[in-house]
Amino acid sequence: MQKIWSGTINGKKIEKSIEQSMTLLHFLRDELSLLGTKVGCESGDCGACAVIIDKKLFNSCITPAFAVAGCEITTIEGLSENGQLHPIQKALLDTGSFQCGYCMPGMCMALKCAMDAAEHNLTEEEIREAISGNLCRCGSYSLVVEAISLLQEVKKS
Amino acid sequence: MKRYISKNQKRSDALSKVTGEATYTHDIVVPGMLFAKVLRSPHAHARIRKLDVSKAAALPGVKAVATWENTPRKLFNSTGMMAFLYPGAKPAMDEYIFDQMVRHVGDEVAAVAATSEEIAAEAIRLIEVEYEPLPALLDPLDALEEDAILIHGDIQDNNIASGTHTIRQGDFEKGWAECDVTYEARVKLPIQKQAQLETHAAVAEYRNGELTVWSPTQSVHGTKYILAHIFDMSAGNIRVMNPPYVGGAFGVRVGFGGKAEGIVSCLSMLSGYPVKLVLTREEDFTVSDTRHSGYVDIKLGAKADGRFHAFGMNAYLNTGAYGTHGIEVAACLGNMATSTYRVPNIFFEGASIYTNIVPAGAFRGFGNPQAVFAVETAVDALAKKLDIDPVELRLKNRIRVNDEWPLSYPCSSTALDECIKQAAAKIGWSEKRGRAGQGRFRRGVGLGAGTHFCGYDELAHVSLELETDGSLSVFTGNSEIGTGHITSLQQITAESFGCEIEQVNIKYGDTRGTPYDVGCHSTRSVFAIGNAISMAAGELKEQVLQYAAGAMGCSAEALSIESGRVRGGPEEMDLGQLARDGHIHKTHFSAEGKSKEAVTVTPWEAHAAEVEVDTLTGMVKVLKVVAAHDVGVAINPQLVEGQIEGGVVIGIGYATREEMSINEKGEVYNSSYHTYMLPTFADTPEIEPVIVESYEPRGPYGAKGVGECGLVPTAAAIAAAVEDATGVRFLEIPLTPQRVLDGLQAACVTCQAEKEGGTIDVE
Repeated sequence: MQKIWSGTINGKKIEKSIEQSMTLLHFLRDELSLLGTKVGCESGDCGACAVIIDKKLFNSCITPAFAVAGCEITTIEGLSENGQLHPIQKALLDTGSFQCGYCMPGMCMALKCAMDAAEHNLTEEEIREAISGNLCRCGSYSLVVEAISLLQEVKKS
Repeated sequence: MKRYISKNQKRSDALSKVTGEATYTHDIVVPGMLFAKVLRSPHAHARIRKLDVSKAAALPGVKAVATWENTPRKLFNSTGMMAFLYPGAKPAMDEYIFDQMVRHVGDEVAAVAATSEEIAAEAIRLIEVEYEPLPALLDPLDALEEDAILIHGDIQDNNIASGTHTIRQGDFEKGWAECDVTYEARVKLPIQKQAQLETHAAVAEYRNGELTVWSPTQSVHGTKYILAHIFDMSAGNIRVMNPPYVGGAFGVRVGFGGKAEGIVSCLSMLSGYPVKLVLTREEDFTVSDTRHSGYVDIKLGAKADGRFHAFGMNAYLNTGAYGTHGIEVAACLGNMATSTYRVPNIFFEGASIYTNIVPAGAFRGFGNPQAVFAVETAVDALAKKLDIDPVELRLKNRIRVNDEWPLSYPCSSTALDECIKQAAAKIGWSEKRGRAGQGRFRRGVGLGAGTHFCGYDELAHVSLELETDGSLSVFTGNSEIGTGHITSLQQITAESFGCEIEQVNIKYGDTRGTPYDVGCHSTRSVFAIGNAISMAAGELKEQVLQYAAGAMGCSAEALSIESGRVRGGPEEMDLGQLARDGHIHKTHFSAEGKSKEAVTVTPWEAHAAEVEVDTLTGMVKVLKVVAAHDVGVAINPQLVEGQIEGGVVIGIGYATREEMSINEKGEVYNSSYHTYMLPTFADTPEIEPVIVESYEPRGPYGAKGVGECGLVPTAAAIAAAVEDATGVRFLEIPLTPQRVLDGLQAACVTCQAEKEGGTIDVE
């Protein structure tokens, strides 16, 4: 059964008729062609599909699209503004904090969510905590910490 | 002074990867494409008596149903290119895309293509199958018994996949009798899964007799050939492409990945539409290749002064239902086990043995982590018996350049001594070794060393073309699986030709327009493709300078290419201007690079680990790993460090937690990320990568490779550290709390700790 989904995605009002049972992940990818959000496990274990919904981090693979209708959703495509990379993206790019890159969109969203929520610079422990739900089989974890630590230092100065 | 060598050039794929624009196979959309689902065997071993697909085929939206009855009956091997390089070794031709026999839980029975994934899944449920269950074998030793059932009885009369690999040097029996100290043991190795983030997937479009396939394969040309073989097509009518990015590979995608490429090709041919298949995570775990589990028996003997004198090994690897890499992994295990230390008398015999479990194939390290775990266990044991420090014993016995060894290629460079020394120094060997104490929490340090091989004695072939804007296009049939080596190859190209790095475009991951390449694996790409590129760039440079000299009426010797311009003559010439001018005058600047002689070179590594063992719970906490690697000259040190660190994380998983468990029915117990526990960030300790540079005379700018090496000795180092902490040497990994606790209890370490007042905190 189809139903009209409405809400805000990456700052744009969206209204679209979709199957009621659809997950947010498949809504984003298959209906809106927002392919930056990745499919890793479809069971909420790996974080490759993480998106921000009303300032909180969600694994979109286990989030029914209609459970978050009316919400404000940000995906990796909404991270850069006016063609400018978000500082987190810039930091990860400069440090080369990835290999295959498949976990990167989810990792970026997790970092943004944690950094926006914190009123202070994240400690190393907090950065680790922020991405502890994002699996990276290439093992680039420490370079992500390095990137964010450098970014925060630049911000401070 | 080199402009681009040993520089941390930023990755060329960085922007698309941080913005989410990078395209992977999961993201491929072809107009009109159908979606596939696969029916898989619930039995470990069975014959299909009856298969009725009529209800599935009649479901609206279903466009094709593929089974063994309407797909090619041509045996194949889903390895890179169905050709092995060890002399005399032949691949096991033991698979069909669909067969009437199923040989492991998850084996393909049928597949459906429909207008949606949901319809395809519904159709799968409508297929009626009657199985005749057969006895199943799960353990390779059982499969070697004389009365064992045959898993591929239609093609051979034993359960060994593509033969046995034997290595002999000196006289092992005589040598063994002459040893003053000896050690022998059997080690048991687990099934480890690549568990790359992007599951296997493929899209195929068969149109007008031509087949186009998008896939995350590590070897596009090899996959093309496998498809040509199965479908009896002319290889030139098949195009295999990476999209171009690959969401992790680690060996599991050399050739077919979970047969996805073959399945979608069948379905596209049957339906007339493009077809996409994306495996679920559970399918990825249960049907695609794993690391070989099994048993390795080792015998190592030395003279009283510590010189190794005899080495014997038997390896019984479990290859599961299909021998995708068959004898190759067993052979690599033997080769790596016998090439780190000098031993005059060697005997090795190893085989990959069929059972009815998920198939094993290539996984980063390719038999080497299994080899090193066994060898280093024995080296540590001899050190104890001889009362020689394990670091000293390794330094004493390590292989030197041009030493006699049983391999077909020479040892042309080694800085293993420096790797061992640096790893030991940086972990604090002299202060920490042998100081575990007696409390509940005990710390220890351990070290493991090893080698690997870069390249495979194969031909590397690239073509270069000077474009009319002065940029340089490099065409290679190699793939980019996340390692970043395409950036390193850009560095080598710019350095060799003399242009700006921004002027170099490397075109890869597509069989169309690229010369044959065996693919991105075997720690070969920077070394082998790099060599071919520097050869071709040198020739291209010669062509350009000769032409420029003619155009300017000066001698070519006076000219050079700097920053993308020809300098040194009466005027400066732009490369684009030269290329355009050349075309008008019947000159095109292009060159081929072919590695003239087949070569293999050896990288080296030593890892040192510090652990803390909770003797009451059995929990092993890895505190630090120092990973020292001889990579020759590091073309891009940042990328090399990334490779080392990433390898170590997988190595820590192998040592401490990763193990696919198969139940008595042959089913995989842990087929999800929730139950198969990859190391997360919270489990990853401090990792210190140390690049120990040497100069490899046969590598591009002195470089070797590093890709697979990062995980080779990690488990051995961690097991040695656990022994230093507890006095117990574990012969089986991973060192899960239960296994460690059992071992400590057996050795009475835990009861001692209990006596001394240690308690388990309960909060």
